[in-house]
Amino acid sequence: MLAVTFETLRQLIASGIVNGASYGILGVAFALILGVTGRFHYAFGVLYTLAAFFAFTFFDRVGWPFWLSAVVGVLITVAMGVGIEALIYRPLAAKAGSNALLAIFVASLGLGIAGSNLIQIFWGAQTHSLLGFALKPVSVLGANVINVDVYSVITAIALVAGLTSLLRFTGLGRSIKATRSNPEMALLIGVDPARIYLVVFAIASLFAGIAAIWAALKYSVEPTMGFRPVVLAFVVAFLGGTAKSPVRVFATGIVIGLIETISSIWLPVRWTQLVVFVILVLYLISFSVNRSWFTRLGTALTGKA
Amino acid sequence: MEPTEQPGSTLLDVRKLSCGYGRKQVVFDLDLRVGRGEIVSLFGHNGAGKTTVIKNVLGAYRPTAGSVEYDGADVTGASARANVQRGMALIPSERFVFGDLSVYDNLLLGAANLADDGERERKLGKVYELFPILSERSKQQAGTMSGGQQRMVSLGLALMSNPRLLLLDEPSLGLAPAVVQQIFSAVRALADDGLSVLLLEQNVGQALRISDRAYVMRSGRIILEEDAATMKQRESYWDLF
Amino acid sequence: MQVAANYIDQILIFSIFALSLNLLLGYMGQVSVAHASFGAIGGYAVGYLSLTHGWNVFLAVLFGAVLAGVVGAIVALPALRLSVEYLILLTLGVSSVLLGLFQTFPQLGGTYGLIGIPIASIFGHDLVKTSDWILPLAVILAIVYSICHRLGESPFGRVLKGIRDDDKATLSLGKNVVFYKVLVFGITCGLAGLAGGLLAGFNSLATPSQFGFDVSLAIFAMVIFGGTGNLTGSILGATTVVLTKPFLEWAVSLAPETAALWRLTFYGLLLVVLMRLRAQGLLPEGVSIFRPSTWRAPRTNPELASADVVPATVVAAAEEWETRLEVVETPADERRRERTWADAPVVLEVTGLSKSFGSIVAAEDLSIVLRKGTITALVGPNGAGKTTVFNLLTGFIPPDSGSVKLNGRELVGSKPNRVARAGMVRSWQDVRVIPRLSSLQNVMLGVQDQSGEHLAPLFANVAGVKRREREVREASMDWLSFVGMSDFADTPAGALSFGQSKLVALARVLSTNADVLLLDEPASGIDTQWVEAMLALIEKVREQGRTVCIVEHNLHVVDHLADHTYFMELGRITDQGTFQELTNSPRLAEAYFGTN
Repeated sequence: MLAVTFETLRQLIASGIVNGASYGILGVAFALILGVTGRFHYAFGVLYTLAAFFAFTFFDRVGWPFWLSAVVGVLITVAMGVGIEALIYRPLAAKAGSNALLAIFVASLGLGIAGSNLIQIFWGAQTHSLLGFALKPVSVLGANVINVDVYSVITAIALVAGLTSLLRFTGLGRSIKATRSNPEMALLIGVDPARIYLVVFAIASLFAGIAAIWAALKYSVEPTMGFRPVVLAFVVAFLGGTAKSPVRVFATGIVIGLIETISSIWLPVRWTQLVVFVILVLYLISFSVNRSWFTRLGTALTGKA
Repeated sequence: MEPTEQPGSTLLDVRKLSCGYGRKQVVFDLDLRVGRGEIVSLFGHNGAGKTTVIKNVLGAYRPTAGSVEYDGADVTGASARANVQRGMALIPSERFVFGDLSVYDNLLLGAANLADDGERERKLGKVYELFPILSERSKQQAGTMSGGQQRMVSLGLALMSNPRLLLLDEPSLGLAPAVVQQIFSAVRALADDGLSVLLLEQNVGQALRISDRAYVMRSGRIILEEDAATMKQRESYWDLF
Repeated sequence: MQVAANYIDQILIFSIFALSLNLLLGYMGQVSVAHASFGAIGGYAVGYLSLTHGWNVFLAVLFGAVLAGVVGAIVALPALRLSVEYLILLTLGVSSVLLGLFQTFPQLGGTYGLIGIPIASIFGHDLVKTSDWILPLAVILAIVYSICHRLGESPFGRVLKGIRDDDKATLSLGKNVVFYKVLVFGITCGLAGLAGGLLAGFNSLATPSQFGFDVSLAIFAMVIFGGTGNLTGSILGATTVVLTKPFLEWAVSLAPETAALWRLTFYGLLLVVLMRLRAQGLLPEGVSIFRPSTWRAPRTNPELASADVVPATVVAAAEEWETRLEVVETPADERRRERTWADAPVVLEVTGLSKSFGSIVAAEDLSIVLRKGTITALVGPNGAGKTTVFNLLTGFIPPDSGSVKLNGRELVGSKPNRVARAGMVRSWQDVRVIPRLSSLQNVMLGVQDQSGEHLAPLFANVAGVKRREREVREASMDWLSFVGMSDFADTPAGALSFGQSKLVALARVLSTNADVLLLDEPASGIDTQWVEAMLALIEKVREQGRTVCIVEHNLHVVDHLADHTYFMELGRITDQGTFQELTNSPRLAEAYFGTN
């Protein structure tokens, strides 16, 4: 039994929750897009990165106050997300018919590649710091975190709560759920899928933008910052379920964050990065395992018919 | 009710409709009429094209030829959204509810048209009156209810939008005869109140019980038009299918 | 000179990457964003074996290729049942796991990788200068190209394309789809490992960034640009992607770092543009940025577009058949028909077939018999479970209990491809012709026992494969003529009208030479004229001695065709006999029409 102090465990849980909250919020966003529109929006990572870069530019280069820069950065990201759906994905889907999923994925890949390189062309490849406000250590229930961590977890919870309420209590939310649940029927009762898709992309881009600002404050602003969070978003979305409530997907994110940090008790740090992907691959394998293999294996082993 | 020649008594007038999916033409040169407050049945074997007809009437698909006139206005090729606002409602034969959503959510989705909350509450009340079980189970996920109850949800959903023309696709599919009777009686009562219904069915017996007129389709064309009374007299329906 | 050689070598190596991904993605339709990480297996094998164990670089390359192939075959197993978005996710996960694994082991150099791989030597020659690599790489590329070409443009390749467009239909024609998927994953990932090993040997290093996710995306882009299903295009695609950087440096005087960025931006945008231009049928056959003529979808043959015309020969057959229909059948004729049916030997015997999905009973204690040279019909009200029966008989759904014996041989428990090879095939209600294969190729896909579909004869017995292919082609043309579609032999099946594609699908099941043909709603979705054409053809098929079973909703068709009819209600057979007998039963009328 490895000796782990209570303090260490507490610390690991705290950082697990902090990381998990950001994975969760991104997972909720991606799950919303995938569940409602069926689009594999790989360019999600570029939008995430752009929010941070725009906020940085307005704050550091143009000289605006931090909060204004952050808000404008996020709004630009929302506009771009909506623009991508309206100008690229939708026309593509209209023409591609049964191959739409793949065609959109490839286009999204193209956008992702082009986008991340354009970022480097315009802003350079170096890392920048977003010194929006001073980072101060904070103690939460005995664990040491920083103020940005607390804010990011609180905003994450607020966003998830907001989305859940939207889905549960409003007409728009009902229409979104209807489109996700039975798109053909939604069309028949007069729901406008085009409008719903735009709303969904706006919401998801908003979530991504806000998560990016917190990450930028805590770490830094650099061109590849979007890659890992977005892959984690995919993982959380798939594991949490694209047709499930945002609360569940968010909780899955937290669990993933906790698994990542707590596994460091047993695994060297380099391995903890892998843990999430190993879980993903195992999950997909279990998904696809033919149950009858087990029955046949059982029959072979026990000799019973 | 006898089909009359008076202008204005026809709610839906479909002429020379040709339509299909992609390169596959399924309906050829079809004429069909539904009067106000009439229940008209459309019979025909599976694959005869009945569902294609109503989907094109509603606007889920665009016809390749022909016209659809609704309440005197030409709505050929109009969107489903526009037609729903004009008072059409379609209930498909499969996947006819939003399974993950509660009964209440399902019903409210039909009410997007309604002007204000007051009207919505009233309509909801009427639907609950018609199908009390929906009120009891309003929080239940629609997909977990029995087939008959889901049919009621779908009917309730359609009624919430205050339709004047109801396009019903095989409502009796998979339901016990007693349940079918209950649902069909509800439909008849609504028609007596002024609702027009185009009913697609394979269950000829139950459908004729509540219908005024009937059409029969085969391989994309109408092969027969008759009033319900006459059709009920037929010895057998085998040669119609 | 060495600078140019460097680019040439890179082009050669990345061509190998692109060709192998094209075979996997373009020919077999399996999306993988992990291709470079399979290259990493090869690259790290070379690095580790040559540095730590002193292996000859080329030997290590071969070892790495085999290792990558084995891993690829393993990855194929979960991939078998995954839809596109899950497959993307799986390959993303595998890529991350592989690269992550390589970075965690100190023996593999951690985050820095392995450097200082010794100079490669082949047949005693040391490859010191970059230009020394050109010849060996060119030879290897030529070999890889011929392998990929042989696999892709052959009967084997025809099966791959079938799997790409419709793996269920391909399975139903007797092809072992699982085996093909595992095999091709193995081969293509092995070739990626080969390329990766060569890359490591060439650069004298094996690092994570050399095989990173962005490299996988670059290879993906090479395949898309060059045109999926177009092997030469992949080489051109690799050339474009590799050369864009120096081109930008030279033409626009960009600094190397900036040039790299603009290159990537450029081809990212190009991907988007290419999808917009030609999205319908993404991954269309041979659409390449290098051939603008392929950019626009081909205008369909005007004769096809204007009229959905029943082929003349079939119309003639239908008319001839109609005159025979004029003769009204007497009850004596009826009884004679039934007796003829009863006398014919049993070909398919189904006993006690049952299947439930939770509380829904799809089939209960089903027992039917199909007799040689007869047409049996399955009718029943909606929801009776008729199509489920076909799925149960052909192994698409395993029954809970019961037996299905074809010529005495038990079929329960066999996969659909085995059932097809045993002599029972089915057609589909939604037709399922392979859209990007021609009508003739579709029919050829149905023929059984093609040596060219198997790996060993494909490479070892070229003459034999060629001969067999000729036979298959002739036989298929005969079947195509039988259904009247020989004029459309080279038309892509996706361009045909619905009725025409139904005829091709019929020819396809006929070409399997199966004893038992299960036709799912042969008369649905087509106009009266076509229905009569189909009826005439099915009649002719019966005259040839085949056993046919049809599921039909159009009772008019059943009346004319069926020698014997089974009536199904809610998963059970409740009556059987001639169609007239069944329609005389008031109880059945009530079950079907709900008369009260």
